[in-house]
Amino acid sequence: MMDLQTKLREEAKRLLEEKKVDVIIGYEDGSMALRTTPCFVKDPRDVERLVWNALCENNLAKYLIGRTDKAAVIAKGCDVRSIVVLINEKQLEKENIIIIGMPCAGIIDRKKIYAYLGGADVKQANIENGIINVKGDGFEEKLNVHDFLHDSCLACRYRNPVFCDILVGEEIPEVEPKDEYGKIDQLEEKSSKERWQYFNKELSKCVRCYACRQACPLCYCKTCFVDQSFPTWFGKSTDISDTFSFHLVRALHMTGRCVDCGACVRACPNNIDLRMLTKKIEKDIKELFDSEAGLSIGENTPLASFSEDDPQDFIG
Amino acid sequence: MKTHLWLLFLKMTLKILLGELMKTIKKDKIAKLLDFLADKYELFAPTSKDGLVVSFERIEEGKQAKLRFYNSNEAPKKLFFPQSETLFSYSKGERETVPEPKTEQQRIIFGLKPCDTKSLSLLDKVFDTTDFKDPYYTQKRVNTIIFTLACNRPQSSCFCTALGLGPFLKEGADVFVVDLDDKYLFEPITQKGEDLLKEIPGLEEAAEKDISYSKELADGTEAKITTKIQLDRLKEKLDEIFDESVWDEIHQKCLGCGVCTYLCPTCHCFDIVDEQVNDKGKRIRIWDSCMYPAFTLEASGHNPKPTGKERMRQRIMHKFNYFVETYDEIACVGCGRCLRNCPACMDITKVIEQINNLK
Amino acid sequence: MKNPYLPIPVRLNKVTLENESKDLKTFDLAFVNPQDAKAFKFVAGQFAMISINGIGEAPFGIASSPMNGAVLQFTVKRYPRGVLTTALHNLSVGQVLGLRGPFGNGYPVKELESKNILVVGGGFALTTLRSLANYVLHKKNRTKFGKLTMFVAARNPGEMLYKEDLEEWSKRGDIEVIQTIDNPVEGWKGKVGYAAPVLKELAPCPENTYAVVCGPAIMIKTCLFVLFEMGFPSERIVNSLEMKMKCGIGKCGRCNIGSKYVCMDGPVFTHKQLQELSGEY
Repeated sequence: MMDLQTKLREEAKRLLEEKKVDVIIGYEDGSMALRTTPCFVKDPRDVERLVWNALCENNLAKYLIGRTDKAAVIAKGCDVRSIVVLINEKQLEKENIIIIGMPCAGIIDRKKIYAYLGGADVKQANIENGIINVKGDGFEEKLNVHDFLHDSCLACRYRNPVFCDILVGEEIPEVEPKDEYGKIDQLEEKSSKERWQYFNKELSKCVRCYACRQACPLCYCKTCFVDQSFPTWFGKSTDISDTFSFHLVRALHMTGRCVDCGACVRACPNNIDLRMLTKKIEKDIKELFDSEAGLSIGENTPLASFSEDDPQDFIG
Repeated sequence: MKTHLWLLFLKMTLKILLGELMKTIKKDKIAKLLDFLADKYELFAPTSKDGLVVSFERIEEGKQAKLRFYNSNEAPKKLFFPQSETLFSYSKGERETVPEPKTEQQRIIFGLKPCDTKSLSLLDKVFDTTDFKDPYYTQKRVNTIIFTLACNRPQSSCFCTALGLGPFLKEGADVFVVDLDDKYLFEPITQKGEDLLKEIPGLEEAAEKDISYSKELADGTEAKITTKIQLDRLKEKLDEIFDESVWDEIHQKCLGCGVCTYLCPTCHCFDIVDEQVNDKGKRIRIWDSCMYPAFTLEASGHNPKPTGKERMRQRIMHKFNYFVETYDEIACVGCGRCLRNCPACMDITKVIEQINNLK
Repeated sequence: MKNPYLPIPVRLNKVTLENESKDLKTFDLAFVNPQDAKAFKFVAGQFAMISINGIGEAPFGIASSPMNGAVLQFTVKRYPRGVLTTALHNLSVGQVLGLRGPFGNGYPVKELESKNILVVGGGFALTTLRSLANYVLHKKNRTKFGKLTMFVAARNPGEMLYKEDLEEWSKRGDIEVIQTIDNPVEGWKGKVGYAAPVLKELAPCPENTYAVVCGPAIMIKTCLFVLFEMGFPSERIVNSLEMKMKCGIGKCGRCNIGSKYVCMDGPVFTHKQLQELSGEY
């Protein structure tokens, strides 16, 4: 029985040899422990570079935007949903993409491993059969992959690609999320003042680098609202009210579109828990419109479509 | 006047060679030492709220300092070149602009790593020039005494030695501090440092074995950094390949997020914006990044660096070619922050390796 | 220590509309404080950062002669997407602006002494060229320089910049003025045709001559070709560049071409220097 990585490499090789695509966008080993990195394979002889493991965290859908060639992209459940949203929003032409779908049981959050190890420097890591072996100066530990997954993976309902051209391996059973809205529910219970304080504290860490926006495949505006100067909507310094506004407005722009892939949180250099905003909005959309983003091609987001039987109990 | 300075320098060097000026203090007394410094100066030290992420902040008490750490997440450049800095304030309708008050308070930064200390010398070349001194930066520099803490435990992502620097580099320090396991060794590097050490109570004379242990640690630590970068002819190589297609390949996984530039201790690009509420406003300097598309975008719509390729090339060229051309130094200190924090795991050492390997 | 980020106050004394499409205006700015006026010494080709508090700041070439320091003139083109240029065009006389400068290297006036100068200007790039011309023509300076030729191109007579200056210069014996427009227009007495072919017709002599060329990119490109054909060496062809700038003093990192900052090492470069740099501008 072939493992998924080998199957993936075979599919990639076939696609390139048959000239079905110009490039395979996938993952290869990163130059540091606990990292993989996006890679662009054009030569069928290079498919051995491609890897598939619980460190494949990047949402590669970002690299599809603006391409002029034909690309195959390796996509996990969340990545596929963001591709679906991009197709529905007419940012991608389906005929130029081949989606290589990967069933995914969750990706490791290396920051959780660092925290568990008390901030130790991991020099080597390898994963086998659900166990990640981490080594550094003076320590070696075997950790259970499932104890160190990203928060977005703990909330995942779509471990299998909802749509793809090639499925690598077999679908894995969908399970109830381990922790879908835990932190959100906790925060919702707090008073308005406490919530305000929470966000002020969290967002004061922001240095306005916009990594969250750049990592997000659904942030594709040619000029982001925050970069506009004619008119200037919000200030660009780290003044807390401007920073707050940036994050709130970005979350609002993601309403009904965000698939909770977690790319924004992973990109943030200051570990701001941006999902407290985006996941909350996702929860609201599900409750108000019974809708989740990126599940099928051709669907419209609730805020961008009108139907006569839209709920209107909030209208007097 | 010059002879006098030379004699002073010789005297100090001799004293240092003879170990006369070096002092030590037991580790359990360091918090008190920091308390003493915090009383007389604005003291900045590495702190951590969660025990993991370290950041240089102002401390009132010595016990707030976390002195056993790899490095701070954000570069300490923010203590001299903050993310947002008001250049001046104004009131609409009033002719004169009111410049921001200058900081006169003496500061001490305790625990700066040698790579970050070196980065300040590189930033000096930009901000402290003879023709246009940047008063916001230079004021802070002049009023700050730096205690550089030697790096005993480099991370696997560190590569200072590959750039000719090192974990025990003393350049730029006023006082050089070494963690000798049970005590700290203090070595004054500048007159400012020597004068300050004289003020601090409770310091002991450094013993011969302290000094030799420090040397032993220096050699041992340097050997731990294994990343190598081929530096000779790198600048020339970069000149040659400016128009080559290798840049298409290099930039393709870059998201243009700018995290590398924001966390880099030597990156200094900034924007100037006016922000106003009703009649009162400020002209503010804020960090900017050569990796952003609007960085060089002109009002006419023309952009000399229209795609990620030109911007990535600009970043690499600036650090390893343009800065070298102008100042004969590489604008990189090997701190590894860009490697650790890049969401796409871009590795600048691998990029340089790729460039070096081009025929 | 002077703070290079603090603007000095200047008052808008006069606004002159320069062209028919109404997007070019010349602003006369006078120093509010006499000591600022006294201290401001500049070389033709330098620029200043003009700002309106609350709007922004941008670089503009100084269009007035360095021999007349009390009032500075700037010609500004309004870009639809330009925040500052739009605000400038909406200003009224009497309003106070901020000014920082002079910045940049300016034209190499020392090197130009005892040489002939061929000025080739197109569109609204004539701004600093006017400063240069008036500097050379000043009675204190004229004898230091050789022949001065102003070759100016514009789309049509309405778009020609500095019509008054051109007329006055045409009347003088110590400067030759040649104007050309793209297409024939009734009543036009100057040349007709694009800059490059008309320049070729004129066949300027390269001997002991510097060519100072400013204008839209296509004009520069085609005229350079002509000048090379005529035998002008690249070290005697001078260009002035424009780039987005913020600090104007070589610190914010954005206006570089290679290791050179356009705000410090430029904006004036000889063509030879430009050939040694990348084309990233």
